[in-house]
Amino acid sequence: MKRSFALVAAGIVALSVADLPARAQDAPPGNAANGKRVYLADGCFTCHGRVGEGGNYYGVTPTLAKTQLPFEAFKQQLRDPARVMPPFETAVLTDQDAADIYAFLQTLPLGRPAKDIPLLNN
Amino acid sequence: MPKRRNSPDVARRNFLKSAGLVGAAALTPAAATAQIAAPRAELQKALPPGPKQIALETQPPGKDPVTQTSSGGDFMVDVIKSLGIEYAVINCASSYRGIHESLINYGKNTMPELITCPHEEIAVHMAQGFAKIDGKPLVMMCHGVVGLQHASMALYNSWCDRVPVMVMIGNITEADKRAPGAEWLHSALDPAAIVRDFLKWDDQPQSLQHYAESTVRAYKLATTPPMAPVLISLDAELQENPIADRESLRIPKVGKVVPPQADSGAIAELAKMLVAADNPVLICDRLARTPDGMKHLVELAETLQCGVVDLGGRMNFPSRHPLNQSFRRAAVDQADVIVGLELNDFWGSVNSFTDRIVRTSHPTAKPGAKMVSLGTRDYLIKSNFQDFARYQDVDLAIGGDGEASLPELTEAVKRLIDPSRKSAYEARGKKLAAAQLASLEQARAAATTGWDASPISVARLSMEVYNTVKDEDWSLVGTSTGNNWPRRLWDFKTPYSWNGGSGGGGIGYTLPASLGAALANKKHGRLTVAIGGDGDFNFAPGTLWTAAHHRIPMLYVVLNNHAYHQEYMYVLAMAGRRNRGVTDVDIGTTLKDPNIDYATVARGFGVHGEGPISDPAELGPALQRALAVVKSGQPALVDVVSEPR
Repeated sequence: MKRSFALVAAGIVALSVADLPARAQDAPPGNAANGKRVYLADGCFTCHGRVGEGGNYYGVTPTLAKTQLPFEAFKQQLRDPARVMPPFETAVLTDQDAADIYAFLQTLPLGRPAKDIPLLNN
Repeated sequence: MPKRRNSPDVARRNFLKSAGLVGAAALTPAAATAQIAAPRAELQKALPPGPKQIALETQPPGKDPVTQTSSGGDFMVDVIKSLGIEYAVINCASSYRGIHESLINYGKNTMPELITCPHEEIAVHMAQGFAKIDGKPLVMMCHGVVGLQHASMALYNSWCDRVPVMVMIGNITEADKRAPGAEWLHSALDPAAIVRDFLKWDDQPQSLQHYAESTVRAYKLATTPPMAPVLISLDAELQENPIADRESLRIPKVGKVVPPQADSGAIAELAKMLVAADNPVLICDRLARTPDGMKHLVELAETLQCGVVDLGGRMNFPSRHPLNQSFRRAAVDQADVIVGLELNDFWGSVNSFTDRIVRTSHPTAKPGAKMVSLGTRDYLIKSNFQDFARYQDVDLAIGGDGEASLPELTEAVKRLIDPSRKSAYEARGKKLAAAQLASLEQARAAATTGWDASPISVARLSMEVYNTVKDEDWSLVGTSTGNNWPRRLWDFKTPYSWNGGSGGGGIGYTLPASLGAALANKKHGRLTVAIGGDGDFNFAPGTLWTAAHHRIPMLYVVLNNHAYHQEYMYVLAMAGRRNRGVTDVDIGTTLKDPNIDYATVARGFGVHGEGPISDPAELGPALQRALAVVKSGQPALVDVVSEPR
């Protein structure tokens, strides 16, 4: 059985980032190749997609490709997530793994503009 | 199933004798002897019959007749025909062999035509999908005991979805008429008991007249809102025995049934609230029963220039209508009057619920917002299964069929609108139209990430399918994976362009229910398309044989993410909470090693299969090839290796 979602309009998960460092380049060095491995092995892709395109779990889940979320906010969401995202604490995901995933996400391309994709203009 | 033996019951023989039987009695002993005495040449090597056998086969026929000229089954078919039911979706069973033969030879397999289903759940789900497109129920037939248990999950879905299905089961009520073995195993004192919690009504008639009245009553109840499945248990003796006096039997008529309409005073009160509101919103779920439903809702929304949130239980409101606010939660949260039209879960629409270790919820509606429910849902709930959802207190609860009540509500609103407020209404409408357009653009932008990736993104898959069907008279009748891309991006505008979901969330719905909808669409020449999950597919793959055998055109796309993906995410959530490893949650939640090749499975059932396709560039051409097959009148399946969501 599936649980039904309360409202089709269930909103995009909003992360509280207002008080956190705002620059992606402040992230610690990460190994994107290992980040990809961990991202897929630890199940991040189940809600956010293999190429960070987002998904659906109790409503729309955020796109992570080239995330603009600062690393500290990203890590905070992993450790003490807002809303329904499961926590990924250090026992299952080290700080270095988090940095590697973050580095991997920065390698993922954003899509072309929708206007340039004919199928999205039907 | 075993054949039932001739009953040696003396009283029954006497009854049969008086009922105009022919056949064996016409065969004279001399003729019978001659047949036995002149064996064909090729049988001459066989051992000659012994004296006992000769005596048995040459004695005059007994009093038990072997043929009959009428049957209860024939009359039962007359009753079904009187209801204008187009198809009987069946899984054959000895307990209803009497009416089965009548449907074929007496009823000429037309109105209803038999549709053979290799599982009872397929049959019920087909009836569910059919009724939501056609507006009329089908008869579904199966064994009373072992068939009805197979059918039960689909009946629960139909119940939750408030869809009429006419279930007819076979049963042998008289214990002394049951052959040893299977007939005892397949009989029950009260066979409907196992599904009664999700039936509107049922009966086990004891005579043919009783059958006629109960069947017509069942039809009337099933098709009067709130609609739901009904069941008639057909006694085998009643089906099989000759009719003593056909002329004495009467088939009652259904007559014109008017759906219950809301009280005029209550409608006037609601109209007053809506007209006075600054920001009213209409939330609808299983509102539109007929093509008029969407028309009525559009008229009301345009009169008020208010937002509509369509939860998608039916095709209630055009997806790209400027007032469609279905993907804007703010449309509900900021409303000062919230009207729930045929909502099952009003609470869920005005509250937020968080699935964490401590489960919490809070109201999301604006404080002081007035809430009104209009519908029939509250008038058919039962205690055991909890499909009625959490209780939501409202300011005004109006009982009455939503669709039937809308025209009076719209007229009442029109009468109350002060011309001086028209400009305010227009401004409100323009604001909503801008928000709707922004919502569409946001969805388009979100669809771009991963557009060229493999496995294929669900957004890409959905839009490749739309590109294939958009110039046809299409009808999307299933998406089973939480895939809301079509409803965000496709242009749904006809009353049949969507028909809702499973109802009860029981998986195994999408493939057979889509085929039922395709059967309803067939006579209109519409293109039926569905996007179903691989997990769902595996519950009832035999549906494809029914599609091929009965030549029901349908374009079926398998969203093959190799998982029961919703459960995958749930188990991951548990693992995260418990902090002891998140890498093994694919155990028990995935369908890989080996990956299933659904195109090959399809071909095995006689259906055109394309795939598995994991390169997005190959998807469009594969869909076009499948479309050509479907347009030739055949079903086709496309297996798409896709992203999870």
